[in-house]
Amino acid sequence: MTAIPWTVFVPELFLLGAALLIFLLDSVGFRWLEVFGGLATGGIVLALLAVLADLRFAPLAAFATVPANVVDAPWSQLGGSLVAVTSFGLVFQAIFLTSALLVSLSSLSRPTKEKGAAIFFGLLLFATLGMTLAALSADLIFLLLSIEITGISTYLLVGYTRRDPRGLEAAMKFYIIGALSAALSFFGASLLYAAYGTTSLYALGTTVVYLGHPPLDGATSIALLGYAFLIVGIGFKVTAVPFQAWAVDVYDGAPSDVSAFLAGGSKKVGLFGYFLVFLVPILFAGRLATAPPACPVGLCVTLHPDFGVPLQVIFGVMAIVTMTVGNVLALQQSEMKRMLAYSSISQAGYMLIGLAVATSPAIAGALLQIFAHVFMKAGAFLVVGAVAGLGIGSKIEDWKGVGLRYPYLGLSFAVMLLSLAGVPLTVGFVSKFVLFSAAVQAQGWFVWLAVAGLLNSALSVFYYARVLRVMYMERPEPRSAALPSGAVLGGSEPPLLALGGIGYGRAIAIGIAVVAIFAFGVYPQVVLSTFQNAANHLLQAL
Amino acid sequence: MSGTLSALFPWAFLVPLAPTLAFVIIGLFGRRMQRLEWGGWVAVGGAFVAMVLGVLIAVGEMLSPGTYSDRSVAWLTLPGNGTGAFPHGFSLVMGTLVDPLSAIMLIVVTVVGFLVMLFSIGYMHRDQGLPRYYAELSLFLASMLGLVLADNLLQFFLFWELVGVCSYFLIGFYYAKPSAASAAKEAFLVTRIGDVLFLLGIFIYFDLFATAGPGAGWAASGFLFVSHGAPFLAGVPVSNATLFTVAGLMMLGGAAGKSAQFPLDVWLPDAMEGPTTVSALIHAATMVAAGVYLLAVVSVFIGFTATDQLLIVAIGGFTTFWAASMALVHRDIKRVIAYSTVSQLGYMVLAVGAGFTMVGLYHLFTHAFFKALLFLAAGAVIHAVETQDLFKMGGLRKSMRITSIGFLIGALSLSGIPPFAGFFSKDDVLGSVYQAAQSHPAYWPFLILAYATVFMTAYYIFRAWFLAFSGDHPRDPTLPHAHEAPWTMTVPIVILSGLAIVAGLLAFVPQFGGLFRAGAGFLPTPGVPPTYTTTSLLLSGLSVGLGLTGILTAYVLWGNGRVFTLAESSAVQPIRRLLLERYYVKAGVDWFGLRVVYTVSRFLAFVDEYIIDGTVHGFERMFSELSTRARRVQSGVVLDYAAYVVVGLAIFLVFLYLVVPAFPALGGG
Repeated sequence: MTAIPWTVFVPELFLLGAALLIFLLDSVGFRWLEVFGGLATGGIVLALLAVLADLRFAPLAAFATVPANVVDAPWSQLGGSLVAVTSFGLVFQAIFLTSALLVSLSSLSRPTKEKGAAIFFGLLLFATLGMTLAALSADLIFLLLSIEITGISTYLLVGYTRRDPRGLEAAMKFYIIGALSAALSFFGASLLYAAYGTTSLYALGTTVVYLGHPPLDGATSIALLGYAFLIVGIGFKVTAVPFQAWAVDVYDGAPSDVSAFLAGGSKKVGLFGYFLVFLVPILFAGRLATAPPACPVGLCVTLHPDFGVPLQVIFGVMAIVTMTVGNVLALQQSEMKRMLAYSSISQAGYMLIGLAVATSPAIAGALLQIFAHVFMKAGAFLVVGAVAGLGIGSKIEDWKGVGLRYPYLGLSFAVMLLSLAGVPLTVGFVSKFVLFSAAVQAQGWFVWLAVAGLLNSALSVFYYARVLRVMYMERPEPRSAALPSGAVLGGSEPPLLALGGIGYGRAIAIGIAVVAIFAFGVYPQVVLSTFQNAANHLLQAL
Repeated sequence: MSGTLSALFPWAFLVPLAPTLAFVIIGLFGRRMQRLEWGGWVAVGGAFVAMVLGVLIAVGEMLSPGTYSDRSVAWLTLPGNGTGAFPHGFSLVMGTLVDPLSAIMLIVVTVVGFLVMLFSIGYMHRDQGLPRYYAELSLFLASMLGLVLADNLLQFFLFWELVGVCSYFLIGFYYAKPSAASAAKEAFLVTRIGDVLFLLGIFIYFDLFATAGPGAGWAASGFLFVSHGAPFLAGVPVSNATLFTVAGLMMLGGAAGKSAQFPLDVWLPDAMEGPTTVSALIHAATMVAAGVYLLAVVSVFIGFTATDQLLIVAIGGFTTFWAASMALVHRDIKRVIAYSTVSQLGYMVLAVGAGFTMVGLYHLFTHAFFKALLFLAAGAVIHAVETQDLFKMGGLRKSMRITSIGFLIGALSLSGIPPFAGFFSKDDVLGSVYQAAQSHPAYWPFLILAYATVFMTAYYIFRAWFLAFSGDHPRDPTLPHAHEAPWTMTVPIVILSGLAIVAGLLAFVPQFGGLFRAGAGFLPTPGVPPTYTTTSLLLSGLSVGLGLTGILTAYVLWGNGRVFTLAESSAVQPIRRLLLERYYVKAGVDWFGLRVVYTVSRFLAFVDEYIIDGTVHGFERMFSELSTRARRVQSGVVLDYAAYVVVGLAIFLVFLYLVVPAFPALGGG
């Protein structure tokens, strides 16, 4: 039995402290966007450093707050603890915090007079707090509650501008579908509790579900219902098909920074939930082939027919359907943000491959894909926000000549799209390469997941290339509202770093994303070895 | 001293990094600079840093002879799971390996590269697109340095391809000129044949050494040439000797493409369409040297079988003669030198094939300097008189003294006249092949061809010198009045002249010669004598005599402004025409291209247009249609979305409760 020290919550305390400070300042009538933004960014940076220290990254390892023996302790020795520290969870925390960091940096460039800055940054911190808490869970209820903290904060974030009817409508849709999903998730959890008398993820997962000859015994039929509800309830966050429909309207209607956060951060909470809830039964089923099952809670309904294979089939099919639907729907999109939303759905499909294959390399590949997606997709939404701020329309055809007129934004966006398409030298290529080769390595029907992924990547190039063509090959109409006065195309080269009033915070956030796409594309092993360790340790701990 | 310099070895990656940085700076800011030439100075700076570092590292290697210093980073590692396609997993590695081979190449590539960059400042000032030129030239240099320092086969291949791409851009630099555009395509396509063979060879090695048996783990190591200070595959028995031989032949194919060996030699003479500076770099230091270097690396770290070696000797020996014969009759000054490059590369390949790897590299080393010298001098001439036709030039000795002396030194060196650089290395090549022929009688015919080439070499290069520089005045009076080139052009010529004189003698400096004559124990392949040390006066006398006879013949026919015209009725006339027409290979290729390939491709175009494109467009239309229809799902009505959720739930319930129990494969039954 491993005792969990309070220090595991240090990153959360930084976030909470920053949020409370912001609300305190706001309540005494202090309204200065830069200060709120600075506080939020500072809190997130400190939390990120703490997480990296716990992950034992070289120069920070000395500051680790969590003892090494607590990290990745075997789950069988957790007892009734609600919380467990895994390097897998820490990696997710780092990913959440990175996407929050990009968004808060970028939001520093919001109009200073804007109302509700405190609410925006405070909610951003609370949403991040929910995500980092989720990454610590060892218990189903703890997990679902943490996800719900994130959920409620993000519903508000989507609609916080109040005056924008599109944002409000998006928030309303998001909230209704979110409430439905939350209800299903909690109902599923209570069914599982009814069946097996526990909410510990480890105990639930290692309880062998009997799928043999019908009729099923009572406990199993209830448990199956619970699991099905959880697949649906959490799948909503993942934007897995058919629970994806809300995402397009919401990503489109929300302010771009918030869309970036939803795609870069909150979607990943759902994936983390999927991994945590379903990896245990999948893995445990795999082990049954060699060892007779231990019976942790005394309610095992025995025997070998296992629950792992059907789960893998579900997630495998879900992966293929999700990536295909996302890509096909993106093909004919004329709105930039909706195109990115569909692309984000298809990327979720790639990530699900990791769960379906459930080997250590595949999990590491999924982690890399999730990590890469932060920079590619959140970065892309930030660029869209910047371009919108320059008075350019939201349709793809409004972007004519953007690449020539704004070299910095154009190049950055091109890099992000190429990475999403999986072009070598970018992190998007490496992540797909690792993920697909893990599926091939696992052999069997998993190879088809790689094939589907490759075909889908090819399909996706169509719509990414279209945007590049519009940005670089097509000239805007003369006197187009898209271009500010004084824009002369084809004249002298515009200065490369002409940021054109997009604001330094946003420019820096975009720059970080571009540098990361290249750096991790050229030298992925820096992070990949951490991910591989995390995946290995997770498999050992479970 | 040696300790201080070998401390630089881990920093070898900075050598290619310097020109890469220049590439990035010029690429991003070149067109935004106030004056376009500034980009040129950035490129010169990058090349200079690379040269200083590269030479220091090479000197460090000389002072600690025969050591390997490997520093690598695995940038992508996939662990194996004991079964499947890669049971031990594999790594992709980036690294630098400093050893005698790469030290030699570092000197060659950085010195010639720097001098060519400097020369460009004077040569290119009239041209448009300068930033593009300097950016591409910097990347070209960086790619070649990355290749030279590569510590594993995949990295080698990566930079090999980059070198190919850069050469495509540079040969086609005047892309508006149709001949330049087509020469660039030709170079790219012909070397591509070699590239494909190279890649196939890598696959075979992967299969032989990575999946099972001894040597397994080579892929997991990242295809490293050395590990723990010793060649990785040294002494590894080969499980399938035939396949191993085939892999070696694939490597030969790759090298033949890049180094323009028969029958993949057609592209190099046409590659003259690029700026002369680019030709100098391609011919002396970068592109063509890559092929020979590949053979050297494979022969040292992986090994060739006796069959491979015989074929390499045959290709090298034959190419030597074949290319030199064509150089005898051409009128274009750059083309003559180009054929001479192909011929000289044949010597290098010949030596490597005979097992004398270091002798081949020795000739590569000296050749780089005198060939760069010849090209830059030719470039200065072309710059001055604005023609490449030897028969229009003449008497340039008077107006371009430095250039004419530089060309003369290069010509003497190429002809193998002592004490110029070419003498020593060519003598070593011939002597070592003679020695190998004692135990391999099959080498004899190629040795004889190689000797015959010595005569032809001296003849054609002095024919060019006499035509351009001797006599009283240009044969074509309309030529602009020639004047000596600016300092940025003459300084490289003078430096290279010096190097063309001393590069051969340098090998007698013990430390420097140690690079080439590293004792047994450095080169691991058993049974292969690494270097050739004995020299026979008789053999040297023979080759020098042949060279002098060639010069004399050229003087008699072309000296002092004479122009030798062959009588129309002469019996040699058909041979001359054969050579001018390049043995009709080009015409044959064109005929083949027009008649056979074109017919086939028209058929394929039909298939492509109507069947493949039809299918693709069909799919495109299908997906577009699907996309349009499916978008109706996205109604914007939130209740619809809730309905989808419920439908999804229903599907899972049906699957779990009804489908799974019915199918044992799903865990039920």
